[in-house]
Amino acid sequence: MSWLLILLPLLGSFVIIVSPGRLAKQLALVTSLVVLGVSVAAAFVFDGWGRGTWELTSSVEWVKEWGLVLQVGADSVSLILVLLTTFLMPLAILGSFNAIKSRTKEYYGWLLGLQAAMTGVFLAQDLVLFYVCFEFTLVPMFFIIAIWGSKNRAHASVKFLIYTFTGSLITLAGFLTLAWSYAQANGGDWSFEISALTNHAVSALSLHEQAWLLLALLIGFGVKVPLFPVHTWLPLAHTEAPTAGSVVLAGVLLKLGTYGLYRFVLPMCPEAVVEWAPFVAILSIIGILYAALICWVQTDVKKLIAYSSVSHLGFCVLGLFALNPMGVEGSILYMINHGLSTGALFFLIGMMYERYHTRDMGELGGLARTMPIWATFMVFFVLASVGLPGLNGFVSEFLCLIATFTAGGSGAYPGVLGPWYAAIAALGMVLAAMYLLIMVGKVVFGPTKATLRHDEQSGLPVDLTVREITVLVPLAVGCIVLGIQPDLIIDNTATAVADTLAVYQDIFEESMPGAAAFVDTSLPGGAR
Amino acid sequence: MIDVTLQLARIVQAMPPVPASEVLHVSGQWWIGFILWCPLISLVLCGLCAACRVKSKLPAWITVFSLAISFVLTLLLAFMDTPPERVELFKWINVHWDGGSFVANFAFYIDSLTILWMSFVTGLGALIALYASEYMEPDVGRGYARFFAGISAFLFAMICLVMGDNLLMLYLGWEGVGFASYWLIGYYYQKPEAVAAAKKAFIVNRIGDLGLALAIYLIWSTFGTIQYNELITVLDAGTYLPVYENWSVQAIPYLLMLAAFGKSAQLPLYVWLPDAMEGPTPVSALIHAATMVTAGVYLIARMYPFFLLAPESLHVVAWVGGLTALLAATIGMAQYDIKRIFAYSTISQLGYMFLGLGVLTTYGAAYHVFTHAFFKAVLFLTCGAIMHGFAGQLDLRKISGLRRMKGWRIVSWTMFIGCLCLAGFPLTSGYFSKDAILAEAFVSQGPGFEVLGWMAIFTAFLTAYYTFRVWCRVCAGEVRCEPGDEHHGDDHDAGTHGGEFHPHAPRFAINIVLLLIAAGALLAAVPYFMGNEVEHVAGGWVADMVHDSTAAEGVPGHPEHPASALHGAEAHHGSILGMDPHVAMYWISACVGGLGLLLAFWLHLWRRQDADRLRSWLLSRFWTRWLPVAMENKWYVDEVYHAFIRAPLWLFGHIFYAIDRYIIDGLFVDGTARLPRLLARCFQPLQNGMLQSYAVTMAGGAVLIALLMLLMLQFFTGGAVS
Repeated sequence: MSWLLILLPLLGSFVIIVSPGRLAKQLALVTSLVVLGVSVAAAFVFDGWGRGTWELTSSVEWVKEWGLVLQVGADSVSLILVLLTTFLMPLAILGSFNAIKSRTKEYYGWLLGLQAAMTGVFLAQDLVLFYVCFEFTLVPMFFIIAIWGSKNRAHASVKFLIYTFTGSLITLAGFLTLAWSYAQANGGDWSFEISALTNHAVSALSLHEQAWLLLALLIGFGVKVPLFPVHTWLPLAHTEAPTAGSVVLAGVLLKLGTYGLYRFVLPMCPEAVVEWAPFVAILSIIGILYAALICWVQTDVKKLIAYSSVSHLGFCVLGLFALNPMGVEGSILYMINHGLSTGALFFLIGMMYERYHTRDMGELGGLARTMPIWATFMVFFVLASVGLPGLNGFVSEFLCLIATFTAGGSGAYPGVLGPWYAAIAALGMVLAAMYLLIMVGKVVFGPTKATLRHDEQSGLPVDLTVREITVLVPLAVGCIVLGIQPDLIIDNTATAVADTLAVYQDIFEESMPGAAAFVDTSLPGGAR
Repeated sequence: MIDVTLQLARIVQAMPPVPASEVLHVSGQWWIGFILWCPLISLVLCGLCAACRVKSKLPAWITVFSLAISFVLTLLLAFMDTPPERVELFKWINVHWDGGSFVANFAFYIDSLTILWMSFVTGLGALIALYASEYMEPDVGRGYARFFAGISAFLFAMICLVMGDNLLMLYLGWEGVGFASYWLIGYYYQKPEAVAAAKKAFIVNRIGDLGLALAIYLIWSTFGTIQYNELITVLDAGTYLPVYENWSVQAIPYLLMLAAFGKSAQLPLYVWLPDAMEGPTPVSALIHAATMVTAGVYLIARMYPFFLLAPESLHVVAWVGGLTALLAATIGMAQYDIKRIFAYSTISQLGYMFLGLGVLTTYGAAYHVFTHAFFKAVLFLTCGAIMHGFAGQLDLRKISGLRRMKGWRIVSWTMFIGCLCLAGFPLTSGYFSKDAILAEAFVSQGPGFEVLGWMAIFTAFLTAYYTFRVWCRVCAGEVRCEPGDEHHGDDHDAGTHGGEFHPHAPRFAINIVLLLIAAGALLAAVPYFMGNEVEHVAGGWVADMVHDSTAAEGVPGHPEHPASALHGAEAHHGSILGMDPHVAMYWISACVGGLGLLLAFWLHLWRRQDADRLRSWLLSRFWTRWLPVAMENKWYVDEVYHAFIRAPLWLFGHIFYAIDRYIIDGLFVDGTARLPRLLARCFQPLQNGMLQSYAVTMAGGAVLIALLMLLMLQFFTGGAVS
């Protein structure tokens, strides 16, 4: 079933390329819906909910002597991210129906190819498949930006490709060193199986070696996330990409980075992570505040949302490096929630752009009057993004921050961050409200600008069409459901997260034996 | 694999235990949930009305009806007279791991404090929705459904805030009411001022929310729970714990304070409230006078044990409250827009409430919240009626003699009742509730509380003055009016018939609501005279309600000191001018109230020219010129904030953006990308076509490679050994 999830979109992509161009979008939509169906079926068949096990596994031997065995499988965390991908993809395709008018066959072909690669990343159980898919995501995205992007697309696509490729190469070097070290330790038997390598990394590598591995992985995944200061490809790529490209980029591609951190960095180099977590946390916090302030002075709405992704993903990384269950759960939720709300914001901006051909806040204004349905969705998703309780963004942001706050070395809860990290990062909450509401105030509210002309040629009515509403409603429902029932994800991933973090408890026990003493003496709750 | 169970067993010891949540009785009364669900259903239905473009008053009736049900259920709850109880609705955020958990569910915690707040929140909510059904009439079919959806959303959030069983539920309500307030202030979204005001309200509130969020983190990391019942169990355990001396416990009240000051518009975060008057007037009455702004008082009352653990924090609360009361009163005196005057008066009265909390009379604060909710709602609603009838005119210099106009009698006399209560005229509800606070300022021991008490008395004088300034100008005097330029909403031309202006008097819905709430304002004095069921507690029904809740003044760990150990030794020997403070305050407050009232009648009714003369006299003197100017310009607080907070941040935004483009992206990223080309340029001269130089380069290269290999060998063998 895992192979099906990866190969089906690829198959769809080939079918589209050989079939006539006028059928391209319908075929793409059908394919993505079928894949969505398969992934939902997989979720029902899946046995690992609430357990830390890997299910739906299967492997294909390639060159066994060199350890090249392609293995796939899913644990609860990866399956949730696969579901996010298969959920967003039909929407992205449906959302492009009107925007993409030239070379449609290639466009939908690349989009489905991209889906195959992203699913492959989440389902891979060995490094070879993982890395191939991880790199292969760049190719479709490169063409999507370069061919269907806006004015500055050539520069943006090349920068996107080279920047992230360079980052991944360093990660590859890290992976190869690890595999080499494994082969050394096992008498020349190579293996690229993730679990075997993880065990090896934890048990055999010295702190020094782990730190180098951490650095190598962090560079690759950090570029992808993106972490400050390696984020500059993102605003450019986002701004220039076509709508669906931005949606997939924000919704799933950035999550490859955080997924990589969760899947490789946390389990593989725990001691180095404990050592360096404050450093990563500080980078995240700088990213949160720095990007938020930059958002404030943007005039291009799409660029603003792009920078807001940098700011938001900072919380996600911060939660991971809090190294406790709440933080990691919060971070996983953040990956989903950011995909839903920011994805929706990119859709909305795309829909507006198709009608007015501008994204400049100085030229826009008072759209609530002309496009009330659009405006309602806009305000809704902005609030989800700001983190209004009751909607999804809040839960993840709250969990990440409270986890960071309590992860103090001296308190009852072990960890290497602490109140100051959370207190400073939490300023990002205020700044997020600031830049997003200022944007809403300028674009959605205020007097309608007389100069703003709806483009009759676009073939779209003034307000949203049924197709566009169909794109947005599932996302809105997702925001509400995950806002009031985050347990759907938390409960199902709890054990997987606990397994990942188990190794850290050992480390904290050794380094902070006094951590438990706080309990007995101070709280009567203990006695009761 | 690593032995997971062993690992988890170790975490068990590392995490503090969470008290069992079954401390209190979990009620099975199914209908209690409907207090919350009614506004939610109404929100959904109003949303549907908006989507279907309903062109009738249906949304208003849906809202009024559902809020009335909520109110009736609340009354039912109040008469059941149950001990504190929890009602679980459903699970929300639960993270469990072996050895610990974070639990925040959708659940109610119902004690007497909850019921006290709920009674006026739902009651006034229903009445004001009824009022709005007429007030918003011109918008039927356009923003009407959106407006009532906003009101329903607000009530939903407010009920979450007040009834929530844990701090996260309170936080949900806290941000929810902030959002509803954003929604409704920005109701006239075509008006740039309204949009700016809405944005400002949300952002300033967010600063407060930051404090609340941090307080929640701190409470959870210290106590391992954020549920009220579990916290109370810990705090009421009867032993003073060493952890109370930690910085974490001592810092909690200050963070809560930040939240409360944001939501309740106190110094330094009060600036959003006056601007919030851009919203429709029923919104100002409901959200920005009666209910939402008292959430800060509720928060501190609810979390009072934490404040008692850090007594200095209460001194800060008292001083901030007292100073805000004075500052807002001085600004209110000098404004001309009657709605803004009442906005500043709200800030000032909220200041009194915080003063009450600070000087250890949670009862006084809660009682003042209760009475203020009624009389301030009346005042705003009469303002709304005037605005509605005079095409948005709110300048008190432009309307006069309202009580003699046809159809305006109810408005002018209900306004008179509201003014009497606000001015603290003897035997009105505001008189008793304000006295409870003022007297306690002289009873409690604290830094400069005596000064604070006299300051509060002076503020009471100012209050009486500016309140009756409005009434004398608008309702009394010669009959005269100028219409406003706004036409109640967008482009509706109410009242202007052929160039000549006829104010249209309020009709049934507005009048009946004004009468009911004015009656409520007068009757709010009754609880003061009700007998106390709890011994040693004076002050009637409200005092009983407060005493039974978390706001009771018992210091955690000292259950034998119910009357608060912090009052000091001479607690009830404090005196003003040789009399018992409570008795003395009846006289003092009556006197200053009367004086302020007389001054207002003199300057604004009997001899109006004197007021202008006084102003021009002040302006003509160099030494006094600053006073009226600064007061009329609101002490330039907005400007100061703009210059010292907004502008620097904005500048940083630009600087960071420049750094991002030119240094990080331009220099580092693009610079690195150019490196290969630069490098190539460096080695270009080598390709010069001369045989000798190729030979030299080759030899050099060979040496280099050999060296490199040697180094690598050393590195790898070294690595393997270690």
